[in-house]
Amino acid sequence: MSNPSKNPTDLAEAVARRTFLKQLTAASTAALMSGAPRLLSAGEEQVQHPKPTADACILLWMAGGMAAPETFDPKRYHPFEIGTPVEKVMSTFRSIDTAVDNIKICEGMEQIASVMDRATLIRSHFQPDLGSILHSRHQYHWHTGYVPPQTVAAPHIGAWMARVLGPRNPVMPPFINIGQRLEGIGENEEIKAFTQGGFFGSEYGPMNLPYPDEAARAVRPPKGMEPGRFENRQKFFRKLLDQNPQRQFMSDYHQQSMLRSLENAHRLLSSLDRDAFDLSLEPRESYEKYNTGRFGQGCLLARRLVESGARFVEVTTEYIPFVHWDTHADGHAAVDRLHKEIDRPIAQLIRDLESRGLLDRTLVVIASEFSRDMIIEGVPGSNARDQATAPTDILKEPKHYGLHRHFTGGTSVVMFGGGVKKGFLYGETAAERPCLAIKNPVSVSDMHATIFHAMGMSPRTVFDIEKRPFYATEDGQGKPVTELFS
Amino acid sequence: MIRPFAVLLLIVASISSATAAEIDFAHDIVPVLRQHCGQCHTGDKKQGGFSMNSREQLLAGGEGGKAIVPGKSGQSDLIQRLKSSDKTLRMPPEGDRVPADKIALLTAWIDAGVKWEEGFAFKAAAYEPPLQPRLVTLPPVVDGRQNPIDRIVDAYFQKNKITRPQPSADAVFLRRVTMDITGLLPTTDTLDTFLADASPGKRSQRVQDLLGDDIAYAEHWLTFWNDLLRNDYTGTGFITGGRKQITTWLHRSLVENKPYDQFVRELIAPTAESEGYIQGIRWRGDVNSSQTVEVQFAQSISQSFLGINMKCASCHDSFIDRWKLDEAYGLAAIYASQPLEIHRCDKPVGRKATAAWIFPELGQINADAPQPERLKQLAELMTHPENGRFTRTIVNRLWHRLMGRGIVHPVDAMHTQPWSSDLLDFLAVNLAENHYDLKQTIALICTSEAYQAQTLSLEASPDNSAFIFRGPLSRRMTAEQFMDSVWQITGAAPARPDAVVVRMKREPQPTTPGARPPAEVQAQWIWSYADSGGSPAGESVTFRRQLKLPVAPLQATAVITCDNEYTLSVNGRKLQADSNWETVETVPLETALKAGNNEIVIVAKNAGASPNPAALIFETRLRMPDKSEQSIVTNSEWEWTMSLPDGNGKFKQAPTDWKPAVPVSSPETWSGRVGPEMADLLNQSGGSVRMVRASLVKSDALMRSLGRPNRDQIVSMRPSDLTTLEAIDLANGQTLADDLARGAANLLADGQSPSAAKLGRKLFRAAYSRNPTEAESTVIQEVLGDKPDEQRIQDLLWALFMQPEFQLVR
Repeated sequence: MSNPSKNPTDLAEAVARRTFLKQLTAASTAALMSGAPRLLSAGEEQVQHPKPTADACILLWMAGGMAAPETFDPKRYHPFEIGTPVEKVMSTFRSIDTAVDNIKICEGMEQIASVMDRATLIRSHFQPDLGSILHSRHQYHWHTGYVPPQTVAAPHIGAWMARVLGPRNPVMPPFINIGQRLEGIGENEEIKAFTQGGFFGSEYGPMNLPYPDEAARAVRPPKGMEPGRFENRQKFFRKLLDQNPQRQFMSDYHQQSMLRSLENAHRLLSSLDRDAFDLSLEPRESYEKYNTGRFGQGCLLARRLVESGARFVEVTTEYIPFVHWDTHADGHAAVDRLHKEIDRPIAQLIRDLESRGLLDRTLVVIASEFSRDMIIEGVPGSNARDQATAPTDILKEPKHYGLHRHFTGGTSVVMFGGGVKKGFLYGETAAERPCLAIKNPVSVSDMHATIFHAMGMSPRTVFDIEKRPFYATEDGQGKPVTELFS
Repeated sequence: MIRPFAVLLLIVASISSATAAEIDFAHDIVPVLRQHCGQCHTGDKKQGGFSMNSREQLLAGGEGGKAIVPGKSGQSDLIQRLKSSDKTLRMPPEGDRVPADKIALLTAWIDAGVKWEEGFAFKAAAYEPPLQPRLVTLPPVVDGRQNPIDRIVDAYFQKNKITRPQPSADAVFLRRVTMDITGLLPTTDTLDTFLADASPGKRSQRVQDLLGDDIAYAEHWLTFWNDLLRNDYTGTGFITGGRKQITTWLHRSLVENKPYDQFVRELIAPTAESEGYIQGIRWRGDVNSSQTVEVQFAQSISQSFLGINMKCASCHDSFIDRWKLDEAYGLAAIYASQPLEIHRCDKPVGRKATAAWIFPELGQINADAPQPERLKQLAELMTHPENGRFTRTIVNRLWHRLMGRGIVHPVDAMHTQPWSSDLLDFLAVNLAENHYDLKQTIALICTSEAYQAQTLSLEASPDNSAFIFRGPLSRRMTAEQFMDSVWQITGAAPARPDAVVVRMKREPQPTTPGARPPAEVQAQWIWSYADSGGSPAGESVTFRRQLKLPVAPLQATAVITCDNEYTLSVNGRKLQADSNWETVETVPLETALKAGNNEIVIVAKNAGASPNPAALIFETRLRMPDKSEQSIVTNSEWEWTMSLPDGNGKFKQAPTDWKPAVPVSSPETWSGRVGPEMADLLNQSGGSVRMVRASLVKSDALMRSLGRPNRDQIVSMRPSDLTTLEAIDLANGQTLADDLARGAANLLADGQSPSAAKLGRKLFRAAYSRNPTEAESTVIQEVLGDKPDEQRIQDLLWALFMQPEFQLVR
């Protein structure tokens, strides 16, 4: 265990545990102490859910550790020059003005800058230092609210919304995950560990759509099966079912539940809503506005799905070790490419949602598992091993220019719509290294509580799993940052 | 170090903001009352006429009047007495005072109105499961139903006025029991033979035959054990070496039907092959103290073998059962190789754990003994003949698998009252009496009328609180059963397993010569020179064989031994090592050999203190996808060098002095002793190629979506319902579509375009173990048309596989 004096996040954790299980609901306590087996759903009783300010949530996931000083929290810029002391460089991008006077962001994100007047920018998010900075663990933590390993499989926040809030449109899966491959990439087992419904079961797990332009296939009849044949096949299935001689099982709950799921599936696969998955139906001009690659297409797909009634959609730049935001070398060049990939589609998504009148009830969140720094790994005092090879004294080559170390002390999160303030800046990181959150720090639990709050879900929502209470935010401790809401 | 002052301030502020409104009865109040007042004022104790059992009793007060005034701590006698130093008033009357912070909690609680959790009362748990086994007197036989299970269940039915469920039809029984014991569908041949058999003992005989198919049994139950022991072929932890498989050991143990007590002893006090289970998962980075490998050990052995949830108690004294933090850490300390600090909710409490067993009635661990010794002691205590909880837990799990619901349910809450303690206790004692033979228990259950009855058709999931047993329940196929069944019908099983297992059973050698057809050993005993009868002690020689394969083999089991020691590596990976030349090892090579160039490297070492005989022998027969056979045998095609590779058979610098191996001049030195065993093993390994089972391959998206768990946690009951997302995968997923396509092609390749009627009958019999009705035949005709083509057959296969009749075991 780490020493509490090491960093502020440790202390925050200690506090969280000290008030362990404070918010146990009455119903769950009684059942716990009586030792009676209890249905999972009974855990929902007596939790006061707030009034939702958003109906849908889109999480834009900057996988691999988005450096705040290279994006939404520009610091002192210094251009690349051989021989420059590394300590002089804090950002490798210049800052630019945005639509909001007191907010500056990094060069390369001009489109996003133009919509910042619809945004709440949080610069004081922070993560725990887990002793060793690993993307898989921090991503698990950010997506579930719990630091792995856990004795039970913790559900993804999308699964929480699917379970507690349910679908907005009965045919539309409530939790859709866009852009992340789960096979054939590094650490895929670790990614699967949090990309799931956890103890809620797969009913509440994600529908995974790794390739946005192939998403239509996920809801289309199998390859090579024309709609007529697909309908026929279903018809034969029904006929065989109707002719089944085992009449005694017709009302069996087990059989009923199986048939209901098959029926739901068929409804989606044959419903008009499935067109939402088909990017080829988007007007060319609009498609091109988004099309910076898979992430851009993912943003477009998310918009279409939310228009059709999706509840929670995650779009990721995709986590692959050492790729995209996981900049361990040549970081400046990599982030330059990433700016181009995310800038247009994110801004377009916000504009489109707004013009369709959906932004007010759709919470869009840009987040990442942690930030980056050129020198510091973890936070000051961390025992995390420095995983970067770039020198920390003097810049020698262009590939040394970039933020190559994982930094957990201060991260930026941007929120649009869904009831949050417009053109609002919250929190602050230090101007000089270490760029720790020095004002209004927001933990992962509080960040989740805030998102859940917007969606009308109490952070103390609790379920009984293996006779233990399991909360939507760790130990029910997450507190929404209510100042963010207008 | 620079510390952000503002952050600290804010956090300090948040501590004090934990106000009275957040007083939590269960965790702030109950433990204080229980610890400081419980001895005299709860349960049947009512000192001074004052009981705290319920809120009413608490508020009613005692002989001294009211103890508490809700909302007014200042007027509450209880608080005053807690604070008072007056010997006649103070509470507790002697011993430690209640700490001030706890009094503050009670004060705040009273001021907030004495909130109580509905239904809560201080009292002993209503049910405490017994520890020791109990001999059950069997009720009399009714209507000739002799199976002891039926004697107990029939008496239970009578007592609860339940009508016995009707017996199932032969075909229904056959499908169910085949699924339950082997995880497969009965073949149509078996179905015909079984239905035609008129002998009264045919069901019992079938159960025995199915259990006798050691490989099929093992590869079905492997799924159950992989879940329960969280063993897998890939997953979290494996990439960093933080986790170790027990696959080969587990598979072999199931094939051999290792007695359950021995099985568990080998898991708790393991060998190198089975140590992966207690080693758990060593996660990277810092972990919560309840997830250290030591605490994982406490949780895992408690859950797997005792159905006890130690997860609560690994953090704090459990609120839901009797287990305490110290007990969880006592178990953890048995495994710990260093002094283990007890942590409560992740914070050290300042005490070290003492290795201890949780049922001291049975004996205790010597905490001072070294770790391997402590593990042995634990293994003995766990499997102690008087540990009835050990046997009850496993028989309950088997009953749950076979009957759809545990006698105690859920199966990992073994502190719950069983619906029949007679049945549970009988099965537990019966297992111990039968040398912990799990197959015997399965046979006993499967031959009972209770098992062989028709499954119930229920309109709602059975109620947990007042469950009454009325008969067997239908169960959803596991992901593995579904895939295996689909593959049986479509022939679309994968070519090779991922699990490294020997898919054969080492039968004892027949005592009568000629009982099995002889196989000849083609391999020669080799060394680096012919006259190896007096090789120097300690001489190590590296042998290798390089060969090119056009394709990877489907099956390849090597037999090997060496005088005195060897390490076998294939393609840069160590597979086996042994140092007893008189035993022959079998090593699966299917997953190690690949298409293209292969290299087998064996480091052979002579032992002893003075010159003595040395020789190596190795043989494997490869079964290729085109059904041809190929052998790899030690002979002069092998090469040797004195250079030694690393542990995986890899050389830092490739040796340039390879020379041909030499068949030794006196092979009879060894062949007389181990030759017959080698021949017999080669013979056994040459059986027909078995279908690769779903339990032997890595999980894929379809299996995952059908409920095969990521085995990071122990799983003892999989979800019983098909979900919408799973149904989408079944409706349009590529994996299943590909299987259907292969199936249709295979069915057409079988003969010259079969008629719809013939095909329909064949598929119905394979999938449902029955013929289609006339009405169903009409639908089949409609689907397939007059000339069934691949598309139509695919659609029929799909429609058949989606039926509840297919996906449910009933």
